[in-house]
Amino acid sequence: MLTLWKDFVKGLWKENPVFVMLLGMCPTLAVTNTATNGLAMGLATSFVLLGSGIVNSLVKRLIPDEVRIPSFIVIIATFVTIVDYSAKAYVPAIAESLKLFIPLIVVNCLILGRSESFASKQPVHRTIADALGMGVGFTWALTFLGIIREVIGFGTVFRGTSLAIQVMGEWFQPWLIMVLPAGAFLTLGTVLGVMNYFKNRAASVKVDLQDSTGESCHTV
Amino acid sequence: MGKEKIDIKLIVVLTSIMIISALVLSLVYQATTPLINEHAAQAKKEAILDVLPGAVKYEKLEKGGLELYQGLDEAGSPVGIAFQHEGNGFQGTIILMIGMDVENQKLLKVKILDQLDTPGLGARMAEEEFKGQFQGKSFSDNFVAKEDVDAIAGATISSQAVSNILKDAIATVEQAYSGGE
Repeated sequence: MLTLWKDFVKGLWKENPVFVMLLGMCPTLAVTNTATNGLAMGLATSFVLLGSGIVNSLVKRLIPDEVRIPSFIVIIATFVTIVDYSAKAYVPAIAESLKLFIPLIVVNCLILGRSESFASKQPVHRTIADALGMGVGFTWALTFLGIIREVIGFGTVFRGTSLAIQVMGEWFQPWLIMVLPAGAFLTLGTVLGVMNYFKNRAASVKVDLQDSTGESCHTV
Repeated sequence: MGKEKIDIKLIVVLTSIMIISALVLSLVYQATTPLINEHAAQAKKEAILDVLPGAVKYEKLEKGGLELYQGLDEAGSPVGIAFQHEGNGFQGTIILMIGMDVENQKLLKVKILDQLDTPGLGARMAEEEFKGQFQGKSFSDNFVAKEDVDAIAGATISSQAVSNILKDAIATVEQAYSGGE
């Protein structure tokens, strides 16, 4: 049970696909111009991650090494196509705003990466925990970036949905650049910079503590 | 011999995966296609009625190889035609639904169905402030941004693109009418 929990939790923060592993940068940069788009993209990717992870983990013994990657890609593509059709049929508004980026989930390196490095080696139940963790990690990261960009670029959150909130007042002049491609780089770069700053500081505080307390550290 | 065996296994495995994928996808396709078509038809229907003020229904009309939609009001009398036309925008194709009054040689209403231009600049073509100005515009106007068309600030190219598509659409429809009669 503890192993499963660890498999799940690592994707949320410690090995977050976006902020730590820097995987799946194309959708991260391309569709996070609004919170809704980020959330929808995250959920679509999570579904593919989970579905293809389960199948790839189940069939891993049947697939010869030579055709492992082509087989994985076909399975991933199948799940992506299911998402594509379902989105168009059941949530046309979201399918419309994500457009080309749904079929492009096939080439999201996060998905093949998890299939290769985790699902192809671990049993199904651990793969499910891993896929859920990575999926939630990817989704919150994309939504977070989407919220930052949308608030600064439009002054709203979840615009165009029933949850829409006007965050900024009338006085606010939206920074258009934040919802354009350049804004993606600015936001991601700044967020990564801030995160690394705090991470490094936390690490150096730990070192300081160890230095000042000397021997006592070893006994802890 | 041993090598051959592996080759056959590769083929069998990949082929089976493909077949299973194809089966699953054809099921999903069958389940979702009616809904997808319904959404597309619904969106088109709304767009056609939207650009023909006063119309409550419409009928398809073939003229000179063009697909036109004749809008009808409650009494069943024609209120104009709708025509879908597209052209290049600043960053991608712009698709317009255009309501026209061919008899009186003027535009009724324009609706932007799809565009990829810059959000906040060119994309503001979808706002009433810009597209509303084409209401009642005469076919014989020049359709030049910053002259007879008020351009969106900072998006002259997008504004001109919409004007060009309209101009082209008018020419296409007029040709169809003159050739068809």
